[in-house]
Order: sequence, then C-alpha cells, then structure tokens
Amino acid sequence: MSAEPILSVRDLVVEFRTEHGVVRAVDRVSFDVFPNETVGLVGESGCGKTVTGLAILGLIPSPPGRIASGSIRLAGRELVGLPESELRQLRGRDMAMVFQEPMTALNPVFTVGNQMMDILRRYKGLSRSQARAAAIELLAKVGIPAPAQRIDEYPHQLSGGMRQRVVIAMALSCDPKLIVADEPTTALDVTTQAQVLEQIVRLQQEFRMAMVLVTHDLGVVAETCQRALVMYCGRVAEQADIGPLFAHPRHPYTAGLLRSLPRVGEAEKQDLAVIPGMVPDLLDLPAGCRFAERCPRRDARCDGELPDLDGDAASPARVACFHPL
Amino acid sequence: MSVAATRRQSLWSKAAWKLRRDRFGMLGLAVVLAYFVAAVGVWLGLWATGWGDVAGGKWDSVSSEHWFGTNLIGQDIFQRSIYSISTAFEIGLIVAVLSTLLGAVLGAMAGFFSGRATDEFVVWLMGVLDSIPFYLLVAAIAFALEGNPWSMHVAMISTFWITTARLVRGEVIKLKGLEFVEAAHAIGVPEYTIIFRHILPNTFHILLVQSTITFVAAIKSEVILSFLGLGVKDGMSWGLMISESTFEVLAGFFNNFLAASVLMFGLVMAFSIFSDALQDALDPRQVS
Amino acid sequence: MEVLQYSLRRLVAGIPLLLGVTFISFLLMVYFGPDQTYQLLGKNPTAEQIAEIRAELGYDQPFLVRYADYLREVATLDFGNSNSTGELVTDLLARTIPVSLMLILPGFLLGNLLALLLALLAAHYRSRWPDKGIMAFSVVGMSISYLIVIIAFQVIFSSSSGLGWFPVRGWNVHSLAEYLEYVTVPTLATVFVALGYNTRFYRSVIVEELNRDHVRTARAFGVPPAKLLYRNVLKNCLIPIITRVVFTIPLIVISGALLVETYFGIPGVGKVTFDAITTGDQPVLKAVVGLTAVLFVLAQLVVDVLYRAVDPRVSLS
Repeated sequence: MSAEPILSVRDLVVEFRTEHGVVRAVDRVSFDVFPNETVGLVGESGCGKTVTGLAILGLIPSPPGRIASGSIRLAGRELVGLPESELRQLRGRDMAMVFQEPMTALNPVFTVGNQMMDILRRYKGLSRSQARAAAIELLAKVGIPAPAQRIDEYPHQLSGGMRQRVVIAMALSCDPKLIVADEPTTALDVTTQAQVLEQIVRLQQEFRMAMVLVTHDLGVVAETCQRALVMYCGRVAEQADIGPLFAHPRHPYTAGLLRSLPRVGEAEKQDLAVIPGMVPDLLDLPAGCRFAERCPRRDARCDGELPDLDGDAASPARVACFHPL
Repeated sequence: MSVAATRRQSLWSKAAWKLRRDRFGMLGLAVVLAYFVAAVGVWLGLWATGWGDVAGGKWDSVSSEHWFGTNLIGQDIFQRSIYSISTAFEIGLIVAVLSTLLGAVLGAMAGFFSGRATDEFVVWLMGVLDSIPFYLLVAAIAFALEGNPWSMHVAMISTFWITTARLVRGEVIKLKGLEFVEAAHAIGVPEYTIIFRHILPNTFHILLVQSTITFVAAIKSEVILSFLGLGVKDGMSWGLMISESTFEVLAGFFNNFLAASVLMFGLVMAFSIFSDALQDALDPRQVS
Repeated sequence: MEVLQYSLRRLVAGIPLLLGVTFISFLLMVYFGPDQTYQLLGKNPTAEQIAEIRAELGYDQPFLVRYADYLREVATLDFGNSNSTGELVTDLLARTIPVSLMLILPGFLLGNLLALLLALLAAHYRSRWPDKGIMAFSVVGMSISYLIVIIAFQVIFSSSSGLGWFPVRGWNVHSLAEYLEYVTVPTLATVFVALGYNTRFYRSVIVEELNRDHVRTARAFGVPPAKLLYRNVLKNCLIPIITRVVFTIPLIVISGALLVETYFGIPGVGKVTFDAITTGDQPVLKAVVGLTAVLFVLAQLVVDVLYRAVDPRVSLS
C-alpha cells in the first residue's frame, strides 16, 4: 500500500427525495482506495453500495437524488460540487464504471467498434484508423476471440459474457485511474462469471488500476479483492483486509453473512443459517444501531446510540459496533 | 397514518393517494364534474330547456336576458351551449363505455389465444377497421343503417375499440405467462373464467385511462362529424353550433362560435389533464 | 434481392387486409347503401328503364359477383364514371390527388419536424420549465378541435374581421406565389394541431429511450448531453417514429385533407370524397376506399423495410 490514496471518500451522504420523505441511501461513508488494489463494497440489496459507486462517478439521478454532503477526492481533486461539464470530462477517462446488466449496456443500433471508437476519438484524439486499431487491441486484451471481426458486429450478435468484456474494454480504453464495477458478473451464468472475474483480476494487475468492486456476493469478494467494506443500511459496518475479514469477522453482521454461506463438504445435513429479522425501512430507521434488531449481542446502548467506525481513516481494520466479536 | 402503514398499498390506493396530490389533475376533475352537473341538470329538465325557442332577434349581443346573445334565428346561445354539454356527455359516455368494453373483451381474447385463429382474426379486424378512413366509415355506416340517429355512435364505437383492444391484448399476453395463470390452469379453471375473472381485472388500470381518452376523442369527433352533416341529427351539440357559425363568423358575429368552442375546449382540456394525472398515478414505474 | 423477396412476401401478406377493407366497405356502402336506381332516372321511369338501370348497376347479380366486380375495378383502376359529374373517376382522382398532396404535405412534414424538435427540447430539459411549457402547449393543441382551429385561423388571417392577408377560400394556383398564398392558412392550422399530438408522442418515446441502460453507459463514459440526444438516442427512437409517420400519411391525406378542403373549398381528394358521401356517388367512393386500402398495405411494407435499415436487430426472414 503506497502513500497517497487514489480515491478518498469522507463522510459521504447521499439523499433521495421520495413521496414519503427524504431517504438517506448513504449515511456518512468513508474509505480510501489506493493505487493497484481492489476494494470490495459488500452488502445486501439496498445497503447503499451501488449508490456509493454511482456517487463517485457523479451519476446519481438528479431530480430525486443528490449528494447532500461529504467529500470524494480522485487523485486529490474534489469531485463533490464540481460542475457537470468538468465531471463529464473525467468520466471514461480518469474514472470509469462498469454496470451490472451487460445485455442492455450497449447501444443496439451501433456496432461495438463504433461505440468503443467514440471514446477513443473523443479523449485521445485518435484518427479513425488509429482508434480502430486500438479498439481491436483492447478487445484482444479482454479475451475476445477474432477481435478484428467482432469489432464490426452489433451487440446482439455477442453473448452476455462478451458484451461485458466489451464494456470492460471500453472502461480500460483511456487508462483510468479508477474503475468502479457494479456487480459486473451477477447477470452472467456461473461459468462465464468465473471467466470474466478471472479476466478482471488479470487486467487489474496488468494495468495496475485501482478498482472498487460493488457486489453482494462474498465469494466474488474473496476472489478479487484485497480489502473490503461491509455495508449495512447506508453505513459501513466493518472494513478490513480480506484475509482477516473472512477469518475473524468483528461485526456481528459480517459474521452472520459468512455463516449463512453454504459450505462444500459439510458433514451433516443442516438448515442454512440465516440472520433473523429484516433490514429496517430507510424511512423508519431506529435511533441507535441499525442492526440491533437482528443482533445477538444487542443491549440498551445499541438501541440508543448509533455506533461509528472506530479508529481513523488510516487504520487498516475498522468496525462500527459497541460489542465487536 | 404512520409512514410504515402507508407503504403496504395496492395499486389502486396508491394511485388514489398520488392522484389527490396532483393539483392540476384534481382541478381538471373538478371542472369535469362541474360540466357533468350541468349535463345532469339538462337531463332532468332543470335548465336550458328553451334552447330551441326563438326568443330574440338576429345576432343579439350579450345581454342580461341572453347571456351569450342569440344566433341567426334568434335562439339563445347560452341555453344551446348548455344543452350541448348534455349531448357531449351522452355521446362521450356511451361511446367510451361501450368501446372500452368491446376493446377489453376482444383484446383479452386475442391476447389469451395469441397466435391462434381468434387472435389472427381480431388483429386482422383491427387492421382493416384502422385502414378505412374514419369519415368514410361513418358515412358508410350511416348509409347502411339508413340514417339511424345512432349510426354516429356505432361508427365511433367501431373504431375506438381498437386502441383499447391493442393495449389489452399486449397486457394479456404478458400476464398469461405469469404463474398465477399456470396455477389456475393446473387446478382446472375453465379458460374463459381465467380470462375474465383472473386476467382481465389486472388490466383495469389500462381500461380506466383509455376510457377517458376515448371520451375526449368522441367529443372531438362529434364536432367534425356534425359539421360534415354526419353527426348529431336531433337536438343540439357543439358541433352543430360551430357548423351554424361558419357563415356567421365571416360576417363578423362570433358569439355562437366562441361559446361552443370555448365550452368544448374547457371540457376537453380539463378531461385531458385529468386523464394524464390518472395515467401518472396508475403508472407502476416512476418515469418523469 | 433479399429486400425484393421480402417485399413480395409482405405484399402477399397484405392481401387479407385488402380483402377485408374492400369487403367491409363494399358491404356497407354498396350493398346496404342507398338504392341508386331512382336517382339516376328521371321522373316516371318505365319498368323497362328501371330494369335496364338495375342491370347496369348490377343490382340483379348475387353479392359475391358484385364484390368480385369491385375487386376487379380496384385491380384495374377502372371505376367508371362519377354519378354526379360524369367524369371518369380515374381522371377525377388524377386531377385532385396532386392538389391534396400539395395542400397537406407541407403541414404534415412541418408538423412532424417541429414536433420532433420540440420533443427533443422537452426531453433535454425534462421536468424543468421548458418541458412543462412545451407539454402544456401540446395539451392545448390536442384539446382544440381541428375544425375550430381552421375556422379561427381563417377568421384571424384571411377574413375582413381579421388580418385579411390570405384568401378566404378556393385554390387558384398557377405559380409559386399563389401556391404560398393559398396553402399558408391551411398549413398553419394543420401544424398547430399536429404539434399537440406529435410532440407528446415523440417526447414520450425519447424519454423512454433516455431511461435505457445504454444511455446510462454512454453518460458514464462522458458523452455530452446534446450529443447524447442526437446521436445515441435519436437513431434508437426511429422505429416508433417511422411507424407513426408512415401510418399517418394515408390518414392525413384522406381524412385530414377532407376537412380542410371542404372548409376552404379546395378541389382535392378530400373534398371530392366528401361530395361523394353527401351525394351518394358510389363509383368515387369505391375508388377512394380501394385506393386507401392499397395505400395502407404499401405503408406497412415501407415501414417494414425501413425498420430493417434502421435497426440491425430486425431480420428480414
């Protein structure tokens, strides 16, 4: 881990205005991402991980949502409050995002090459033939066979896995400092998932990028990340390096998540462990710890006070709990 | 009501809640209701009974006796305008209700038996009726029914059912793939019961919105049809008033024309705004 | 070659539609329609004259024979002579169709183009004031009857009570200047009403496309918003746009023209049709219906071929 983080998020708050009131999808989240590492944002649906990813790129849909407060620094440059025209110059060039649904991510009426070349020509000022050559090279790099033919094909002629690789190639095309991948393999079948993940790991090492990987799948985190943040109800519950996180989780939620994973080779037939209860409604949050209702270690303090992450921004392992394991 | 309690809502209660908060929509509804009250009054004989009487001179201007003045023959324009409201509602309601019903039934059957003979037939029928120019169809039906006063209604219903049917057909095709239909099949519920008791109720939100659109279309069509002589024969309508006024406006007398136009515009616009609000309220996705 | 084969197949597929339209129209207008025997004869016709006329009109033939006759007429474009003017129907149509086209096409094209532009604007600024303004304007445009707009514009622009800049009625066109004189007011009316409906439709198509995932991807890669609309989104919207434009053409030319021409006294297909309706001139009506049906089938074909050109996912097989 080298000195300066490439991405630095501090006390990020993202709000959404709904008919029933204002909802905080992300409630004071802080973390750093260093060059050449992959950080996982893990949690169940609705925990705020995707919104965090979108916030970094400034893609929060603006009538209902907005970044209410906090700071997001990319290579030292503050992104919150940056006018849209400047943010736009960064997107695709300094930071890129890969979304979850490969089937609909590309424009169906333009060829793959056309869409890739658009980015290359816009940011790198390449001529058409230069851009085409670069695009073919990128396609090869993400593992697409016969790239010179594929480049002239339309998205519907490619499989889901290949489409996702094209998007990844697009994300890499301008050597971004940071890539945010939002559930990049969730929509793919298991075999393709494994292949694409492997590709992502290789590419991250080869390009030495910083990556934020948003996912609900702990297995994916284990395979691809060096560090991870576990999110719950818009807040970070725990963050740690991968090994210690899986071996000795400190937050009861993390422990519950790990316990609920079915394991291959378990001797007896057992019921799958579940975390009892449900995620609280974001419009009706308890005053204290949001996990308290479902936590076996709950006490009066948990109900009354909202725990913050211990330590500081520089600590490798942090947990937001009054009774960590 | 606590926030948590309001969230367990059905499509309808949520829609009603959203609709109530849409100020323009509610305003539109209020205006429509005001018009409706006027229409009911006419039907009950409470007012506008003297619409046919020659009560004044030629082209009297606005006075306390004749609020909108009189037309060429001396009939009271205000009373004629109000009477026309009842005609508009009569046409609108009959056409809207019947064409929605027809569209719902045919659309549901076509959708449920999609790909098979029933569907092919209904789709073909829709294409054919769509291809015949509307005014020609009205004329043709008027011919065929030998000048029956309902021929205009029949003609309108024969074309307006098509849009409803298309929408219902599309929705039914989507719905019939869902599991509750499979389940109903599995326990032996007869097909027509499935269509009409289980699937069709899930299209009511479409039917409601479409019926308001059809109502508006019927009123607007009547204006043009009456102008062409293919519309209302007995009684009075905005179309007939405007048709009367075409000669008048060139001579510089606008009361007749304005009365009918403004009143019609008021009802149509209010209803359109309400219809939009209704559609937004019933829309499960929130696209702005 | 592929396009040709496809076109032929689509034309053949259009035959049931043609048959349906001609059948229903024939049934309603001719079979159930008024008996023209006495119209065509003078006073006190003899039994022989009656029988002669009836044979000529084909009233003594069975239904299917008469229907087959009609189909033959459509196929050969030989509809006989107009009952009212005695002119050959085909000549009549050849004379009036160009007039209708010249009258209606400018309004139609302008109406759609302007509507598209307004819709793009509205979509670009959606939920903000320009959008609300444009949408309010289109609701107004939709709520005013075409007839009312026509009358109002005639009064405002042409009559002595108004500006008096344009001729009130008629069609005395022998030069471009005269053409512009006569076509302006009808065109203004057409555009005004068309804007209402079309803007709403186009806006909803565009907004729906803007909410798709691939637009999100484009935004995530920094495509500027204007370029986004014109390049990424417009091409995708072409299918519903083409469908609408092509399918409203036959409607506009016959029905739309009908109202304008009748009101302004312009000798086009619409007016001829209307006159035929009021006088019960069957040869003309049969011709108009038959032609409209053919137009519709052709429109369907054109649309299908255009789809292929615009959206690579559509296959021709």
